[in-house]
Amino acid sequence: MTEQIDKALAREYEAGFVSDVESETFEPGLNEDVIRRISGMKGEPEWMLEWRLGAFREWLEMEEPEWALVDYPKIDFQSISYYSAPKSMKDKPKSLDEVDPELLRTYEKLGIPLIEQQMLAGIAVDAVFDSVSVVTTFREKLEEAGVIFCPISEAVHKYPDLVKKYIGSVVPKKDNYYAALNCAVFTDGSFVYIPKGTRCPMELSTYFRINEQNTGQFERTLIVADEGSHVSYLEGCTAPQRDENQLHAAVVELVALDNAEIKYSTVQNWYPGDENGKGGIYNFVTKRGICHTNAKISWTQVETGSSVTWKYPSCILKGDNSVGEFYSVALTRGRQQADTGTKMIHLGKNTKSTIISKGISAGRSNNSYRGLVRMNPGAEGARNFTQCDSLLIGDQCGAHTFPYVESRNPSAIVEHEATTSKVSDEQMFLCRQRGLDPEKAVSMIVNGFCKEVFKELPMEFAVEAGKLLEISLEGSVG
Amino acid sequence: MSEWLESAITRAQGIHDWLAPKRAHALDLLAKTKWPTRKTEAWRYTPLRPVERTPAKMISDKVDLSPVAIADLSAIELVFVNGQFDPAQLANTLPEGLSIALGGDLESAQQADALNTFSTIKPERHIFGLVNDALAQDVVVVSVAEGVEIIQPIRISSLLSPGAESHTRVQVSLAAGSRLTVIEDVQAQGDSFNTAFVEYNVGTNARLEHYRFALQTGSNVAIGGSHFNLHDHAKMNSTIVGFGSELSRLDTDIIHAGEFADAKLNAMYLLDGKELFDLHATVEHAMPNGKTEENVRCIVADRSRAVFNGRIHIHRDAQKTLAELNNRNLLLSDKAEINTKPELEIYADDVKCAHGATVAQIDKQALYYLQTRGVSRSKAQVMLNFGFINELIDLMPNAALAEWIRPIIRERFAQMEVK
Repeated sequence: MTEQIDKALAREYEAGFVSDVESETFEPGLNEDVIRRISGMKGEPEWMLEWRLGAFREWLEMEEPEWALVDYPKIDFQSISYYSAPKSMKDKPKSLDEVDPELLRTYEKLGIPLIEQQMLAGIAVDAVFDSVSVVTTFREKLEEAGVIFCPISEAVHKYPDLVKKYIGSVVPKKDNYYAALNCAVFTDGSFVYIPKGTRCPMELSTYFRINEQNTGQFERTLIVADEGSHVSYLEGCTAPQRDENQLHAAVVELVALDNAEIKYSTVQNWYPGDENGKGGIYNFVTKRGICHTNAKISWTQVETGSSVTWKYPSCILKGDNSVGEFYSVALTRGRQQADTGTKMIHLGKNTKSTIISKGISAGRSNNSYRGLVRMNPGAEGARNFTQCDSLLIGDQCGAHTFPYVESRNPSAIVEHEATTSKVSDEQMFLCRQRGLDPEKAVSMIVNGFCKEVFKELPMEFAVEAGKLLEISLEGSVG
Repeated sequence: MSEWLESAITRAQGIHDWLAPKRAHALDLLAKTKWPTRKTEAWRYTPLRPVERTPAKMISDKVDLSPVAIADLSAIELVFVNGQFDPAQLANTLPEGLSIALGGDLESAQQADALNTFSTIKPERHIFGLVNDALAQDVVVVSVAEGVEIIQPIRISSLLSPGAESHTRVQVSLAAGSRLTVIEDVQAQGDSFNTAFVEYNVGTNARLEHYRFALQTGSNVAIGGSHFNLHDHAKMNSTIVGFGSELSRLDTDIIHAGEFADAKLNAMYLLDGKELFDLHATVEHAMPNGKTEENVRCIVADRSRAVFNGRIHIHRDAQKTLAELNNRNLLLSDKAEINTKPELEIYADDVKCAHGATVAQIDKQALYYLQTRGVSRSKAQVMLNFGFINELIDLMPNAALAEWIRPIIRERFAQMEVK
């Protein structure tokens, strides 16, 4: 058994290659000048710069949060470079043929279906390579439907009214330490606007990737679904293998106006560090959506990467009858630490939320679910159901559950349940008896354990997620 | 740091007795402890303003108070009045194998033992536990000899006259194979402030039956703790009944320090008016094969607020642990509030742990059913509330206590309904 675990631990990070692309990177350091430079590089209007500087000043006053069950050395924010753009981006490619082939090869290795597969899969990808959006495909097709899908830096110029109206409306500038930092230094990200009554003709997807050494990635995503519209958005993340830790502090804001629906799916596979916990991404992300009347936001996440994860995709159920969902699979191994969960804030009448969280810990990792369900006095007839299950593989890991339930409305109903167990000997015995080797058996059991979440993912993603889990679990039989 | 705490520290510096080293240590820690605010996790939902503005003062004059009688209980009474142990109310002859004495009166060997175990079970993180370490005037030590079963329950009562401040502390130790029942009871009158802590050392194969009643209401601040250390094969069964006051906070810590220990905790609290009750129940499974079962039920009416934090921590070595926590809450009014947080922190893989928490209101269909049978709405409400709590009362091992508490709870529900 130990041998198998050792083998699994020794498994190399498959996306851990470094692309040799010339890039333009700022000197490490953070001050108002750096922010002015970032803003200047993007040619941003004055209001945007002011907004950034405002956030930066708030950030200076704030303290790093310490309540999460994660342990990492203090981050030196002055040793990070806050801007990195591939040099060849100076003249933006007009089509895929003009894209640096090295870049395309990187994506290919990651298995992003950027070209033909793309057409077949019908996915439009806004690929973020370090900090600048490289290429956005299928834009015309989306434009036909009236859907706006572009880098947020472009949206600032082209759709300033929309950006101005919604940016920071869900995650305020001084919401938390990392969100404030993101507001000050965000370099790029995606902007999506779905017009009234439109069903987005294809699934939208962004692939983030941190490439440059010593850079932080601070992307910002803003999705606005206007009344009665529908969109499904996919996000995948990978980073190269490096010895030092890299910081990723993103902000995602979702706005679902009346009767709109947003489905946001993430497969996060940042570099988790080596078996001794050296290197890896610090993934400190703020994701939040607001639901107006009858609207629905659904978060689905599969988290297998990052050395430290601090992430709580949340829903503010402001409108009556609105619905929030959170489906999560978080797998940690090696010395990974994940503190993740959700917040469901029920404000409107008859609002409903569902939370399904599956945590799997292996190796010497720690995996925590931390969630909040709040029923405000106005949440007449609101309903929540939460289920958190943890699975432990090996006796050196930890699985934790910290749910906060706050109810101030007698007609609201909150239900929470959590269980922790290991892959049982009986289950293993049954599978072995049927001729499955231990590895397959564990993989099958874990897959079954996560099924409730996987079925919420779009098909292509579900396959990828299943595979990712299988690779991550290789040999962790206990 | 608050003014209140500063004055408490100054007062404590004037105390010099057999506990001097422990008191000095507590003061040391207190000096380093930040006064809890809303950002302090352990006090997130329980603001300490009532402590800061409490008018309560130490009363050194002797006051005649005695605890309310409980029919058929025939307990050995251990009484504190305004923080001072009243030896006159203690029975002249105690059953063989039981000793109850002031720590200061113990023989030197026993005193050394008591000193060594003092404040080793109660966790140091509790700021008012430290206050109690430093300020408890009369520390009483209760011990049961090896293999002895004490049939009569011991009832520890802390009585407070209006505006009184008191800090009481009892150390209970059950030697191997012994059996004991302890009832903790605080009866406070208006504007008082008390901290009441008891530490239990439950020896190998020993059994402890424990009750804690916090039935004072009104403008009192009541902060307390019952802390248990379980050795191999030790068993404990604890029942907590709480009504709220201006601020009531109770911490229970159960440490599985030996293998095959078994702990049961049933807690219920019923809040009305503007009361607040905060229960923090922590279970530490440090050794393998332990078992814990917790049931916590809570009803909040009017503008009251209930806080529950149920933490189960399974350490790396505590394989084969079974731990379960069930928390159910009924919210009766739209001004009332429930904040609950069941926590699991697990570092061992071969364990079975689960917790569940629900917040809801009385089943409308059940209410309707009773009304169709001619029961008035308010009576039906009382019946259903009572039924919800009675399931836990039925689990109380001591019949006399269950008989005593039932009408008190029924009366409480009737009062809730009148409003």
